[in-house]
Amino acid sequence: MSAPLIELRGVSLCYRLAKQRIPSFKEYAIHFMRGALSYEELWALRDVDLAVGRGESLGIVGRNGAGKSTLLKVISRVLKPTRGTCIVTGTVAPILELGTGFDFELTGLENIYLNGLLLGHTRREINAVRDEVVGFSELGDFIHAPVRNYSSGMTARLGFAIATAWMPDVLILDEVLAVGDAEFTRKCEERMQRFRNAGTTVLFVSHSPTAIREVCSRCIWLDSGRVRAAGKPDEVLDAYAGPTALAARRSDG
Amino acid sequence: MLSVVRYRDLVRALVLRDLNVRYRRSTIGFLWTMLQPLLNMLVLKIVFSALFRVALTNYAVFALAGILFWNFFSQSIVTSMNSLRGNAQLLHKLPVPLFVFPLSTVLSGVLNLGFALVPLFVIMLLTGAPLTPALLFLPVAVAIAALFTLGAGLLLSPLAVFFIDTVELIAVVLQVLFYLTPIIYPKDILPPKVAWIVRFNPIRSVLETFRDPIYYGKVPPLEHIAVAATVAIVAFVVGAYAFRKSADRIPFYV
Repeated sequence: MSAPLIELRGVSLCYRLAKQRIPSFKEYAIHFMRGALSYEELWALRDVDLAVGRGESLGIVGRNGAGKSTLLKVISRVLKPTRGTCIVTGTVAPILELGTGFDFELTGLENIYLNGLLLGHTRREINAVRDEVVGFSELGDFIHAPVRNYSSGMTARLGFAIATAWMPDVLILDEVLAVGDAEFTRKCEERMQRFRNAGTTVLFVSHSPTAIREVCSRCIWLDSGRVRAAGKPDEVLDAYAGPTALAARRSDG
Repeated sequence: MLSVVRYRDLVRALVLRDLNVRYRRSTIGFLWTMLQPLLNMLVLKIVFSALFRVALTNYAVFALAGILFWNFFSQSIVTSMNSLRGNAQLLHKLPVPLFVFPLSTVLSGVLNLGFALVPLFVIMLLTGAPLTPALLFLPVAVAIAALFTLGAGLLLSPLAVFFIDTVELIAVVLQVLFYLTPIIYPKDILPPKVAWIVRFNPIRSVLETFRDPIYYGKVPPLEHIAVAATVAIVAFVVGAYAFRKSADRIPFYV
């Protein structure tokens, strides 16, 4: 395998939650004087090592709060790890949520530009893909209407169309395909397939074992911020389903 | 800072959106932003011009130029401080370089200041103040003011994320600074006991670099420009350094 596209070494990430909320100077000063500035540390990721090569598709499973989204945010460069290093080579298309950064007062077309710019593209690059984005989103004349008038499905379609208008080296998806209708999901999967064939690395968080089996060549199971299992999707999913199924049976009995 | 080049189109779009919100969406928006400093100046003129008659021959132009400068400075800072928190949703989901928010705020402030110069020139014509070639120096003066304001915005906007009452605190500080800067009064009228405060107030040098070409019709002396430029560069370097140091922590707090 060539050098990994994504390489995490000993990545830990800590959300420092103030035990008492100290959102102001005044309170900060009072607590500081008393020497009572204490924080509750919440380690969302603990010592995660991960290497993902070009063209791999990695599925990430785990319970709510296991650190899946935090891991994706670290790889997307939204959050910087508290400890450890995260190196990502190449372009990243992070879809942590569909329609992030939309200005609801602007039209769909204006949002194509705004969103493309927020993703780090230039005006010229957006001009080149504009018609294709409008086509993929299937919004027709609605593209000239303010986004506040869109249904959630329409917003999702437009968001996905913009975020995947350029083929990235790394595509990051955080449970975003669950929102649209079947036809939309099919189109998205088709596009993902095309990207993967062309060598895009995909990171994929999903609660659907079927989707993970279909898309991913490898899978990890995150549990309380640690990688609990890694390997072939079937093995990891079975291991993940194990204790959950067991717990379910136990609570039934 | 390479990303300034990469994200220049984004900065431009954010500036345009800001102007759009301010002017196009409300039909009297443009008129209103022009009217506010004018009314302000009018009140000041009625109240103070008799008082400062000896020191200032054209109080209306003096005060209006000062107010326009101060509005640019204070509004840019307050908007910068709110810009990160206002885009919290975005910061949690997209790897956007955070400096684009204070930067676009200050740049749209510059454009607003540019628009506001039009009524100022009208007032100058109406009051018989000459429009001199010294006005051509204004772009340089505005650039110095913008760099200074950007520095302050970069320094304060992360602080506003970490402590929610920064905005209130700075509002008070700005109020005090307004009176410690010779915006609506000539600096010679101060008693020597307090004159030093105004003398060493760094904002004064930036203000005067902007106002001298308007009010006196003269390009300020080179050493004054040098002081103002130094103040601006220091403010920018300090602000940029503080912003860079705290940028990684910002998404955790908004």
